[in-house]
Amino acid sequence: MTPLRTEVPPVEVALGGTFLRGKEIGVVGAVVVVFAVFALANGNFAGVSNLQTMGVDLAQYGLLALGVSFVIITGGIDLSVGSVVALSGVWSAWLNVHAGLPDVLAIALALVTGAVIGVLHGLSVTVLGVPPFVTTLVTLVAARGAALALTEGFPIDGVGSVFTSIAQYRLAGVPVPTLLFVGACVVAWLFLERTYQGRQLYAVGGNAEAARLAGIRTRRRVVLAYVVSSTCAAAVGVLVTARLTVGQPSIATGWELNAIAAAVIGGVGLAGGVGRVLGVAFGAILLVCINNGLVILHVSPYYQQIVLGAVLAVAVVTDRLRSRGSERDRR
Amino acid sequence: MRGLVEATGLRKTYGTVEVLHVDRLSLAAGQVVALLGENGAGKSTLVRVLTGATAADAGHVELGGRELRNGDPAHAQELGVATVSQEFPLVGEMSAAENLMLGRRAGSGRVVFDRRATERAAREVLGLIGADVPLDQPVSRLSVAQQQLVEIAKALGRDPKVLVLDEPTSALGPVESRRVLRVARDLAAQGRAVIFIGHRLDEVREIADRVLVMRNGRLVADLTPERATTEAMIRAMAGDEADVLVEGDPPPPGDGPVLTVRGLEAAGIGPLDLDVGRGEIVGVAGLMGSGRSRLVHALMGAVRTTGGTMTLAGKPYAPRHPADAVRAGVGLVPEDRKRQSLLPFAPVRWNISLAALPRIARRSWLDPRAERSFTDGVRRSVKVRCATQEQPIGTLSGGNQQRAVFGRWFATEPRLLLLDEPTRGVDVGAKAEIYHLVESFAARGTAVVIASSELEELMRLAHRTAVLAGGRLVTTIPRSGYSKHALMTAANSEGVAS
Repeated sequence: MTPLRTEVPPVEVALGGTFLRGKEIGVVGAVVVVFAVFALANGNFAGVSNLQTMGVDLAQYGLLALGVSFVIITGGIDLSVGSVVALSGVWSAWLNVHAGLPDVLAIALALVTGAVIGVLHGLSVTVLGVPPFVTTLVTLVAARGAALALTEGFPIDGVGSVFTSIAQYRLAGVPVPTLLFVGACVVAWLFLERTYQGRQLYAVGGNAEAARLAGIRTRRRVVLAYVVSSTCAAAVGVLVTARLTVGQPSIATGWELNAIAAAVIGGVGLAGGVGRVLGVAFGAILLVCINNGLVILHVSPYYQQIVLGAVLAVAVVTDRLRSRGSERDRR
Repeated sequence: MRGLVEATGLRKTYGTVEVLHVDRLSLAAGQVVALLGENGAGKSTLVRVLTGATAADAGHVELGGRELRNGDPAHAQELGVATVSQEFPLVGEMSAAENLMLGRRAGSGRVVFDRRATERAAREVLGLIGADVPLDQPVSRLSVAQQQLVEIAKALGRDPKVLVLDEPTSALGPVESRRVLRVARDLAAQGRAVIFIGHRLDEVREIADRVLVMRNGRLVADLTPERATTEAMIRAMAGDEADVLVEGDPPPPGDGPVLTVRGLEAAGIGPLDLDVGRGEIVGVAGLMGSGRSRLVHALMGAVRTTGGTMTLAGKPYAPRHPADAVRAGVGLVPEDRKRQSLLPFAPVRWNISLAALPRIARRSWLDPRAERSFTDGVRRSVKVRCATQEQPIGTLSGGNQQRAVFGRWFATEPRLLLLDEPTRGVDVGAKAEIYHLVESFAARGTAVVIASSELEELMRLAHRTAVLAGGRLVTTIPRSGYSKHALMTAANSEGVAS
C-alpha cells in the first residue's frame, strides 16, 4: 500500500556515511581543485608565508560565515556583520586607547557589545516581527555610522600589546586567528550536531510553526542565532584591529556579502533548516583561496569580483537544481 | 425547459473508490442551489467537474447549451463559470480596485496605470453586488467580510452566468455572513445560477431555492425550500443508519481523571468544561468554525487563553507555550501536516525525535548512536515504512508521514494526546492503521482528545463525543447514543445564535 518509489533511498544516503554527505563533498572537491591549480600556476601560492596570510584571511571570512550560517539556518539573514566588524574594531581600540581600559577588558567589552547587538536583532525579529533583512539592514547602516562617528572618520592609533600579539603569535607556525577559527568551528559543530538545542535551531529554520507546536521555544533559538552572528562579527573586528594595529572605521565594507556567499557555497540553504559547519568552513576556504590566488597571479581586483560572483552563481544554481531534484522525488 | 447547467452521466473514480456518480443534474438560472453533504460526500468533486478543474471519467456537462471540454477550466470560464474560493487569494497590499482589475486594463493608457479609470471600473463591478468597500485601501486592512465581497466581485468581473460559492461564510461572523448571503440572493435575482456549498444548515434554509444533498458521490435528495427542514437535510446527509458500521470498540478507559478543564475561554471559544480520564478517547465534533481546532490549540498552549482553569494529572496546568505543554506531558498532532507538523527536508529520524530531544539528550548532549536506535525503535512501533530513517520525510507517502508524526509523540510518552483531524490526507488503508495507533495510545493509559470533521472517525474511536457550536459545548454524547443524526443535530443546534 505504500507506493514502491518511496522505498528507494536517495543516492546520497546510499553512497556515503554522514561525514561527507551530499552538498559538502562538492565544495571540498572544489577547494582541492582550486588549490592545486593555483599551486601549479604559481610556486608562491602554497608557500608557508602565503599560507599564513591566507590563514589569517580565513579566520576573518570564516568566522563571519560561521556566525551568519547560524542565522541563515533559522531562516533569517544577517546583513549587518560587516558594519559590526568595523564598529567592534574601532570600539575596542577606542576603549583601549582613549578610555584607557586594559587590552583584555577592551576586547571583552567589544565582544559583549556584539552580543548585545545580536540580542537586539533577535528581539526585533521575534518579538516585533520585523523581517530579518530590514532589522539587520538598519544595523548595517547605523553601526557603520557609529564607527565613523566614534572616530570622526580617522583611524585610532596605538592599541596595546595584547592586540598586536594576537595578530603576530603563531603556534607551530599557525597564526593565532586561524587557530581561533578552527576552535570556533569545533564548538559550532559540537553545538549544531551534538546538542539538542542545535537540532532545534535546524527545526526552527525547517518549519517554525511545526517546531513551535512540537514544544520548541522558537524565539529563544532565533535570538541565540543572532547573538552568535554578531558576536562572531565583533570578534572579527578585534582581529582586524589587531592585524592593522589601528581601529579603522571604514574597514570590512561589504564583508557581509562574502560571509553569506561562503555560507551558501558551503551548502547552507537560504530557505533555512539546512547547512553544516564543514561546508561553511570549506566555503570560506574556497573564497580565500580564490581571492588570494588571483592576487598572486596579478589578476585585476575588478576581475576578482567577477570570478567570485561566478562561483556564487554556480553554488546557488547547484543548490536550486538539487532541491528541485528532491522535490521531484516526492511527487 | 433546459437548465443553464445540464450534466448527464458524470462518473469519477479514484483508485477503487467511486467519488462521483451523478446521472442527471440540471440547474436553472435565477436560483440559489445549496449543495450539502458530509466531508468526502463528493460535493467538491462535483463542483470541480462542473468548473472544469477536474476531468470526469465519463459524462457530459453543458453550460448554456454548449458542451464543456472535459477538464478544461479555461473553457469553463469562457462559457461563463466562475468560482469563489480561497484558491485565488487577493493581493493583500494592493487596493480593492487594483485587485478587482488584476490582469485587466482599465482606461485608455497602454503603459501608464490609470488610477481613475481603474477605480471607476471597480466601482461598477462592486455596484453589481451592492457592496460598499473602500477602494483605495490595501485589501489586507479590510474586514474579512469585505475581503470576501471583493473576492465575489472579482469573480463577477467576467460576468459569469454560473457562480460557485465554496463555503463563503465559514470565516465570517453572523452579521457579516448575512451580508454575503444577501449578495448571493441578489446575484441569483439577476438571472445567474448560484451554487452555494454550505455547511451551516440555518444559512442554507435562509438562502436556497433548492437544496441538493450528496452522499457517497451520489445525489440523494433534491429538496424544495419548504421540504428542506433541518431534520430532513440531516436525515439525507446521514443516510440510513444501517450502513454505518462501527467495527469494534476502543479499549475500555482506565480510572482517574487526567485533564480537567473548567470555564476555559480563548478567542472565539468558551467558556467550556471538559474532562478526560486515563485511557479515555474523547471526540470533539462541530461544524467548520465551531472552535474544534481552537479548543485543541488552547489545550496545547498554542493560543492564548483568556480565562478558566485546567488541571493535568492533579496539578494546575496553564500552558503559555507549547513547550510548557510538552513538559507537562501533552502532545499535539495538528491538522495541517505540511504546515504544522513536518520538517519536510529533514530526515525521518529528526522528525520523530523532535519533541523528545530533551528527553533523549544527556544534559544537553545528543549521542547520535543512542538517538538513532531510539528513533528506529519508535519508527518500528508506529510502522513508518521507509528505506532508511535518514531519508527526507517529504519523500514518504501521506500515511507514513502521519505515522511518523504520531511517532514523535509516541517518543515522549504523553499523559494527554491531542489530535486535530488526524487522518486528513491519508488513504483508507493508512486510516485504519492510524486508528489502531490512537487506540494503542489509549491502551497505554494516555488520555486522548480527538477533534474531527469526520463523524465516522469519532464514532469509531471516541468513548464519548463533545459537540461544539459557536465555540460552546452544546452536549456530550456517550458511545451508546451515537448516530450521525444525533451528532449532526447537536452540531447544528445553536449554530450561529451564540
